[in-house]
Amino acid sequence: MGLLQGASELFPVSSLGHAVLVPSLLHWSFRQSDPSFVPFLVMLHLGTAIALLILYRDQWVQIIRAFFAAAIRGQMRDDNERLAMLLLVGTIPAAVLGVFLESRIKALFASPYEAAGFLVLNGLLMLGFEQLRRRREGGASRQEQESRFGQAERISFRAAAIVGACQSLAFLPGISRSGITIGGGLLAGLRHEEAARFSFLLATPVILGAGIVEVPQLFSRGVPVGEYVTAAVLSGVAAYFSARFLLRYFRSGRLDPYGWYCIVAGLASLALLHFNV
Amino acid sequence: MKSNSVAVALGALGIVFIIVAVLYALGVLQLFASTTSGPHYKHAILFAVLAVASFVGANFARPKTV
Repeated sequence: MGLLQGASELFPVSSLGHAVLVPSLLHWSFRQSDPSFVPFLVMLHLGTAIALLILYRDQWVQIIRAFFAAAIRGQMRDDNERLAMLLLVGTIPAAVLGVFLESRIKALFASPYEAAGFLVLNGLLMLGFEQLRRRREGGASRQEQESRFGQAERISFRAAAIVGACQSLAFLPGISRSGITIGGGLLAGLRHEEAARFSFLLATPVILGAGIVEVPQLFSRGVPVGEYVTAAVLSGVAAYFSARFLLRYFRSGRLDPYGWYCIVAGLASLALLHFNV
Repeated sequence: MKSNSVAVALGALGIVFIIVAVLYALGVLQLFASTTSGPHYKHAILFAVLAVASFVGANFARPKTV
């Protein structure tokens, strides 16, 4: 589960959807209704967030310094300061919706059938984002096409808030947080690689915050801590290598293969669940 | 949008958010919480972040003297 979560969290294929679907399809003795299931997932998310912090450690140091400098001065003077404020603006809608709605939404849509259905929808969204993007692209080579678009620091504050709010859709199992935010970034005019970077930076505070809040509750419930920590470490390792792969992939790659994967995996899961294979 | 009134409004909002954060942390406020007793640290942290964002916004909105 740790490896699966870590790999699927950053790939635009919905980790939550896979966390609901895979145990059900493989008949693992994993009950999503178990009170320890969500904290277990949060623990895995914490592993992912720490991996992202390690991957972007230098950038986070700059962002945090830039945040305090701009906040105290009341003005943004460089790209790091702008990025710090963009991340704040993008994080707030997701945090507000997460705190007030996350558990209610997850409880409403916790069945494998719904996860499979949303996975298909996620695939369609990925293909839709790329289709809309292609309309704005010119140039023959991928390099030329990408060169028309900008860096994460150039996104507008309104777009950052909208992309941030879209993160909340990932509470629906099957809808990918990174997929939605990368897609939002593409529509806001970012290069693929920059959209992925903005998505990973945007995800880190929310995932880390949720993890830090949930972990003490996890330890107080008498769960097998050693196993959970091992799973979190595996999740982090998988997330680190996934992020590195994706950043390299998105230099020229698109969301389409992940979109098709989600559609096929979602439909196959629906069939397998229906026939109780 | 730089004006003193916007800055003051955001500053006041920040103070309100701090009060709400403290009430959630102490378990006094149970509004929109999943359980009806005890402290709600997740809500408290959220409102603390909102307070910080409001104060930052207030500082940005404040007209600067060169």
